[in-house]
Amino acid sequence: MESILTVNEIPADAHAKSSAPVLQVTGRLDTNTISVLEKALMRAMATGAKSVVLDMSQVGYVSSTGLRVLLAARREARERKGNIVLCALTPQVRDVFDMVGFTSLFDIRDSLEQGKRAVA
Amino acid sequence: MLSVPLTRLVKVSDELSIMIRHLVVEAKPIQLSTLTHFAALAAEDAGFAPQQRDRIELVMDEACSNIIEHAYAGRPGTIDAYVEIRPNCELVIKLIDQGKSFEPESVARYLPQAEPANIKIGGLGLFLMRKVMDEVKFEFNIPGIGNRLTMVKRI
Repeated sequence: MESILTVNEIPADAHAKSSAPVLQVTGRLDTNTISVLEKALMRAMATGAKSVVLDMSQVGYVSSTGLRVLLAARREARERKGNIVLCALTPQVRDVFDMVGFTSLFDIRDSLEQGKRAVA
Repeated sequence: MLSVPLTRLVKVSDELSIMIRHLVVEAKPIQLSTLTHFAALAAEDAGFAPQQRDRIELVMDEACSNIIEHAYAGRPGTIDAYVEIRPNCELVIKLIDQGKSFEPESVARYLPQAEPANIKIGGLGLFLMRKVMDEVKFEFNIPGIGNRLTMVKRI
């Protein structure tokens, strides 16, 4: 068994409606993979972006390590007067978010399209 | 992995048995997926629904991550993981380590209702363990055993 996570930035021409970087996250957010997301978030924010949109539709697992990184990114974005927008949470991830109270804390959208519009 | 999972049946009456599985792994992050898979499979075999199985997998991750990160803190060691599928619809997970003990009550409590600016993320793993499982018990420095974490989940 292997923990795998990939994060790809969706090219700008594909998300013309959005002024924020859009990251497509695929896999598990856990201790062994979280550095991949951390680096991608750092790269996205290093461009000066205030907000980042994360397509979470292909993330089937998140542990507290993943939650910590998302919360830290949210804090950073909020300091810049922006936000982290999470789109299309899977039932597994939403369940964990519900348990820890992140559902009411984060800007969560049902679809990527809605997420892009939120930061347009 | 230091051992393949071993399974044995312990008879508690003429008709009822407890199934016990035992796995030993090095206390390294790379072993977390083996441990979480071990717990998820036991949860499935015990009859838990997929949502509960996923939660038990998460709890195993949190508990073992704590052992690796805090009890061993970079030092070499092992985690002995036991799962017991009991006939009274209980799943018992026992984790044994030889690392440093800690005082669970001294860990800052995660409060999900806190104002965003005041959220303290420490203790999130412990919070999830207590939230998901029906019983969570820490025992430290047991002679001949070491530290033992016992977690019980009932269907």
